[in-house]
Amino acid sequence: MNSQKILAIIPAFNEEHCIAKVVQELRSLNFTIDVLVVDDGSSDRTGHVARSAGAQVLTLPFNLGIGGAVQAGYQYAFRYGYDIAVQIDGDGQHDTAFLQRLITPIVKGDSDCVIGSRFLSPSAGYRSSIVRRIGIHFFAGLISLLTRVRVTDPTSGFRACNKKVIKVFAQDYPLDYPEPEAIVEVQRAGARVSEVAVDMRERFAGRSSIRYVKTLYYMVKVTFAILLRMLPAQKRG
Amino acid sequence: MVKIFAAGVLMIFLLLIVEMCRRQKLTFKYALGWLVFAIVGLAAVIFDTYVAMLSAWCGFIVTSNFIFFCLMIFFIILSLFLTTFLCQQNKRNDAMAQKIGILELELQDLQNDIKKRHG
Repeated sequence: MNSQKILAIIPAFNEEHCIAKVVQELRSLNFTIDVLVVDDGSSDRTGHVARSAGAQVLTLPFNLGIGGAVQAGYQYAFRYGYDIAVQIDGDGQHDTAFLQRLITPIVKGDSDCVIGSRFLSPSAGYRSSIVRRIGIHFFAGLISLLTRVRVTDPTSGFRACNKKVIKVFAQDYPLDYPEPEAIVEVQRAGARVSEVAVDMRERFAGRSSIRYVKTLYYMVKVTFAILLRMLPAQKRG
Repeated sequence: MVKIFAAGVLMIFLLLIVEMCRRQKLTFKYALGWLVFAIVGLAAVIFDTYVAMLSAWCGFIVTSNFIFFCLMIFFIILSLFLTTFLCQQNKRNDAMAQKIGILELELQDLQNDIKKRHG
């Protein structure tokens, strides 16, 4: 594990109450991991707090949304030749205790992209509301049907990928609500996608950005985007 | 009388577009659609019998309906074009923001390195 250069990408938008804890957890792991917080145009002290906690902070001049922020992280990882990039939410939902489990298939060369799934095995962890779970299972079914890759938690943003996938994401990453679409993109790029079981926690503070009408937009947008990705590849400008 | 009025309005519109290009408020690329619109409009006013013939050939009973239909199609296409342009600009903006973020971080790292080296 030590020979691999690993970067944790944490997209954060107004997460001043959670970000320090997430960074500290990562820095206390028993293997070396560089921590990059992508401050997505926060209006609070997210960047300052993250920097004080010991993270590198990539500050975007304005809010790009989760896709743009994560892609900036992958661009950084690509630019600096990282072997593995790990995506972790800035709200504390992702338990870093499972990080090693997430990275192991990549280190062993068994997978190019590993997703941390809440639904792979029965657990006591946080699994979100029933409406969300219906949506998650819908996308899981759709992606599994279209790509023939079994996915149980396509909306999980807790994922790790190797150089091959870092390059793909640095060049092209879905903009809004990117997680399910990114799986299809990776699969279409010829990379191997797999899942490992993880537990998730409730966010340390704040509320999810996907609520009310946005849920409907999310369902329509992501379904459309997934179907679009299945069409023959076009050069994306 | 109506023909003169319509031709006058279109002529003013055409001159306005040319003037905006001259003052560099519009680039030729984006003025082209409006220039074509004004010129085609002028041609339609001058050769209105051909417009009536074309309208009848397309199955329109009233020529004005045909003109409104053409205008509607023109504006729909123009909106689509502008939306495409907006998306392209949005994408470029995002890419630029990401680049700025990365470069700023690099600059900060370099500054920190220099500070360390010089005590």
